[in-house]
Amino acid sequence: MALLELKKVTKVYQIGTVAVHALRGIDLTVEKNEYLSVMGPSGSGKSTLMNVIGCLDTPTSGTYILDGKTVHNDEKKAAENSTNGMLSDDDLAYVRNQKIGFVFQTFNLLPRITALHNVELPLIYAGFHKKERIEMAKEALRKVNLIDRMHHQPNELSGGQRQRVAIARALVNNPSIILADEPTGNLDSKTSQEIMQLLDELQAAGNTIVLVTHETDIANHAHRVVHFLDGLIASDEQTLKGKG
Amino acid sequence: MGQLFESVVMAVKAIFQNKTRAFLTMLGIIIGILSVSLMGTAISGIDQVFEKSIESMGQDVLYVEKFPWFMMNDDWWEYRNRPNIEEEYAQQILDRSSTIAFASPSSSRRADVKYGTQAVEAVEINGTTWQEAFITSVKLESGRFFSELEDRYGTRVAVIGYDIKKNLFPDEDPLGNYIMINGNKFRVIGVIAEQGKFLGLMSMDNIVTVPLKAMKSVFGRLRRISISVRPKEGYTVDQAKEELTFIMRGLRKLKPREADNFAINQQEAFRQQFSNIRFAISAVGLGITALSLIVGGIGIMNIMFVSVRERTKEIGIRKAVGAKKSIILFQFLSEAIIISLIGGIIGILITVALVGVVQKFFVAQLSFSLVLISLSVAVLTGIISGIVPANQAARLNPIDAIRYE
Repeated sequence: MALLELKKVTKVYQIGTVAVHALRGIDLTVEKNEYLSVMGPSGSGKSTLMNVIGCLDTPTSGTYILDGKTVHNDEKKAAENSTNGMLSDDDLAYVRNQKIGFVFQTFNLLPRITALHNVELPLIYAGFHKKERIEMAKEALRKVNLIDRMHHQPNELSGGQRQRVAIARALVNNPSIILADEPTGNLDSKTSQEIMQLLDELQAAGNTIVLVTHETDIANHAHRVVHFLDGLIASDEQTLKGKG
Repeated sequence: MGQLFESVVMAVKAIFQNKTRAFLTMLGIIIGILSVSLMGTAISGIDQVFEKSIESMGQDVLYVEKFPWFMMNDDWWEYRNRPNIEEEYAQQILDRSSTIAFASPSSSRRADVKYGTQAVEAVEINGTTWQEAFITSVKLESGRFFSELEDRYGTRVAVIGYDIKKNLFPDEDPLGNYIMINGNKFRVIGVIAEQGKFLGLMSMDNIVTVPLKAMKSVFGRLRRISISVRPKEGYTVDQAKEELTFIMRGLRKLKPREADNFAINQQEAFRQQFSNIRFAISAVGLGITALSLIVGGIGIMNIMFVSVRERTKEIGIRKAVGAKKSIILFQFLSEAIIISLIGGIIGILITVALVGVVQKFFVAQLSFSLVLISLSVAVLTGIISGIVPANQAARLNPIDAIRYE
């Protein structure tokens, strides 16, 4: 079974009296250990897609199944005339905590706490004990090669290091999927390459990665590229890496 | 549980990152808790002192006097023009009454008391009759009260208060020795047990009690006589008071329409007055407390709104990695509660220090339950002022929050 399955997903935002159709019926399937890039101009709906996949937002209609869990299901909702087809805010928080690892363009680390504590954060909300948490967080920092910086605060780290802390945070809970939204957008090209290499390694180690970017060379790290235009998938093709 | 604990830790860290701001926010709470605990302390102190003082007055004693104990200012001239209370009334009351066991006239004035070269100035010399011993609940430490016979003959004997004994007879037994009152010799026959200070202010031990007749022979005319009256066994103070009023009106030959031109005082008046004072203190204290807690609470609420706004991005990040609404709510609510609670604790500590100082002059006691009440009030203020901002934080949309700069 596919790890991630979107069927006829739409998202309509109401801005004032204007309805903005951000997603106009998306069908997308991502298999386990797949490496997918999402490309498209701004306003094409790729950020909305990320929010929906990341359970930060719910679709207006359609079906979304993540790792066997139904996040949103229109038909079920209509059939049972209940909210069973939709997860509550707290359920969504639980899914984000257990199944999703976010990597953001702006890193989004908490300032004033150490790298280690930042990585611990998802584990706190998962209810792990302190001892376990620290072990797991250290393990994640080891994977991103930043164990020697674990007691530094974000403002004492370089951009690349911060992004690696963020990746460690995304990894720490063994998520089903890592969502990277323009992970190199704030980094210079050399550091970008390092970060992409790290993501490549993680994928090779068995992780599933969905990457949003507008840079072709970054997108080409993935095995499959999906192009978005006006809320619809314009193309869906294997990259050279994917074919090879 | 672990999550809740972590939330509290995060809340504490957040407070310590903004120490000055948190402290300024606490001021209102500090003042509020200070005033509630000081008020409670004052009231419980006053209560204690009052009960002790009033006990020494005699539980069910009535005092027939010219002036009421507590009067309205504008009535003073009316009271002033009343006829004086006469010594003879005491016997007349006893003759006519069926409910009164004892009635004793007394009068007091201040004079110096000497023994050898030692002297105590401005001692209250209280002239009364043998019946006084049966009317008030005063206990003797040693010796005896004067007898009916000594009373009738005006024998110059004296029952001295504890302070007099302490000052004039530091190392000897006063019984049988002669003290000088206004240049006249009085033989000491008894010592009154220590009574303490009335309402914690005036000493009740700086007193010498002598037979009324002896007092007259030393000082001449008596001023301001007060007749203390005790009901017979089986009669209540109210019954005795009713009869006493009737008798006094008879003695004064008052017509039914005329108002009493004497006063019958009793402990109750003190109680009444006291409860007024107590009420005034409570009202003022509660007013100050409520006001400062409201101001303090608004301060906390304001700072929490600022805090939520400042940390919008943080909230977004926490939500993105899996923090539930309730945990975010708890984190911010505990921040508000902790600020308020620290304010409360500081308030209590200041109270403890102040009570320590006040105790040197006056009975004051900070009870454990009062500390608990004060801290609960602080926590409650924290909850009330923190709930709205915390809820606002909990309801933030993670997508918007995480993009907030």
